[in-house]
Amino acid sequence: MALKSITYNQQTFKISYEIVNPQSKIDFILLHGWGSNKNLMKKSFAPYMKDYRHIYIDLPGFGSSSCDVALYTDNYAKIIDLFLIEIGASKDIVLGHSFGGKVATLLKPKVLVLVSSAGIFVPKPLSIKLKIMLFKFFKLLGLAKFRSLFVAADAKSLSEEMYQTFKNVVDEDFSEVFASYDGLALLCWGKEDSATPLSSSKKIDELIKHSSLIVYDGNHYFFMNYAKDICENIEKTFLKTLGK
Amino acid sequence: MKLTILFGGASFEHEISIVSAITLKEKLSTFDLSFVFCDQDHSFYLIEPSKMKATIFSKGEHKKMPQLTISNGAFIQKGLFSSVEHGGTVLNLIHGADGEDGTIAALLDFFSIRYIGPRINASVFSYDKRYTKYLCNSKDIKTLNYEVLFSNIQKDITIPYPIIIKPASLGSSIGVSIVKDESELDYALDTAFEFDNTVIVEPFIESVKEYNLAGFMADDKINFSIVEEPHKEEFLDFEKKYMDFSRSEQVLKADIEDELVLKLKTNFERVYRGLFEGALIRCDFFVVDGEVYLNEINPIPGSMANYLFEDFAGSLEALCASLPHAKRAKVEYEYIHSIASAKGK
Repeated sequence: MALKSITYNQQTFKISYEIVNPQSKIDFILLHGWGSNKNLMKKSFAPYMKDYRHIYIDLPGFGSSSCDVALYTDNYAKIIDLFLIEIGASKDIVLGHSFGGKVATLLKPKVLVLVSSAGIFVPKPLSIKLKIMLFKFFKLLGLAKFRSLFVAADAKSLSEEMYQTFKNVVDEDFSEVFASYDGLALLCWGKEDSATPLSSSKKIDELIKHSSLIVYDGNHYFFMNYAKDICENIEKTFLKTLGK
Repeated sequence: MKLTILFGGASFEHEISIVSAITLKEKLSTFDLSFVFCDQDHSFYLIEPSKMKATIFSKGEHKKMPQLTISNGAFIQKGLFSSVEHGGTVLNLIHGADGEDGTIAALLDFFSIRYIGPRINASVFSYDKRYTKYLCNSKDIKTLNYEVLFSNIQKDITIPYPIIIKPASLGSSIGVSIVKDESELDYALDTAFEFDNTVIVEPFIESVKEYNLAGFMADDKINFSIVEEPHKEEFLDFEKKYMDFSRSEQVLKADIEDELVLKLKTNFERVYRGLFEGALIRCDFFVVDGEVYLNEINPIPGSMANYLFEDFAGSLEALCASLPHAKRAKVEYEYIHSIASAKGK
């Protein structure tokens, strides 16, 4: 592990990161999902792609990276961009899981790997809509202290800033961002994913010009069982860029 | 012999301390041992000896065991109607922060609890590698040439490559990297600065001879362990050292000349006397062209370096019998009394 200070918008972010295979020349950058951290990604992917320099990053506010202000996904991408310049990394391959997928897309890498990426707006089920209405009604009655009963599992135990960040990023529609990406994209999805459903992957596949989709068994965290296969496909995809 | 093993602590070496404690439980099976765990929030728990397994702590099951407070001379277990005192000598087995930085020493001294471990001053000089250099300098002990870097000040390194970069105040090779050329420097510094704001840079001497020697003072005499030549590839990284901490078999004596052994012992004694009384320490030395250099002092070595002593249990008993006492001023209010009586009050 290592720590690098990045200044962005007069704020200092301490970014915790780890490099695997430091001697390799092609960079493979991995971004975790909401509420996760670099160790989960490292556990899955570090054994593979030995000829690539893996860079595992804790996004600001997660793992061991600090964050004292509320951010939008766009801010995340700018901070990571500054960080990559600082450590002299090039965006050869960027992999993002879930929320990390949105940040990865904004980074415009040569090869984009989206693993169960967020970014397609999925209308809330009726039950959730009712829950929100009920809470707003309680709030009118001055019963806001029941908030913890209503807050999403992802948002519980978050700091004030990170809760605001959560609200900033949770329902963003990235359709246009996906459509404007013109590198090579590999989409990997879990069939039974309920956080970012399979239907999202099909939409993203349509939006991105040069993309291919591979569907695996499993849920939102399917990649933990299929890292080897995913890595083989990433290498194949990357080799295609070399001919150009 | 009765002995309380204090382990854990809010330290990067917290888990190593757990491994050390479990190893000592085996090595000191003839002792009447009790175990006090300090968790990362500085709460103390009395751990049932049969529950001394690493997973008990990783799963947080220690929280179900009796919590202890500390008071004059003992740890206290408070019950509903009465409280039980857990007195006797404590072995400070907390590695790194808390245990080796003087915090636990101060706590135990303050509450007049007898303990094996470095005292406050000894901790200060061994915990921060910068101060170890100062100590060696004043005691005429050779150390490698070094430079100090701070996380918030940009400074060029003048020592030629290859160099070794270490956080100033961590043991167990945590955050340590060998840097062969400039391209590796940035990541190595970020790695060290994750753990400490102060970093020591030293030349890295390939295939340097390394020797470890442990010892302690009992009856005004230093008892030395055998000299060990640690196995190393390039250097022991964290994982290898971690495994090393659970070591319990005796190692083979290093095959070196008596003259060198004497030199190592002389240097050890210079470090120890007048500062480390009460502790069993391990000094790690380099030997370059027949000259002995001190690399670092481990005032609470992993598993108490048990594998370096022929009779480890006997050694601890001898050390226990000659622990120093903290001097405490007696308050007699003589001055106030004399003024009061002069004023006729």
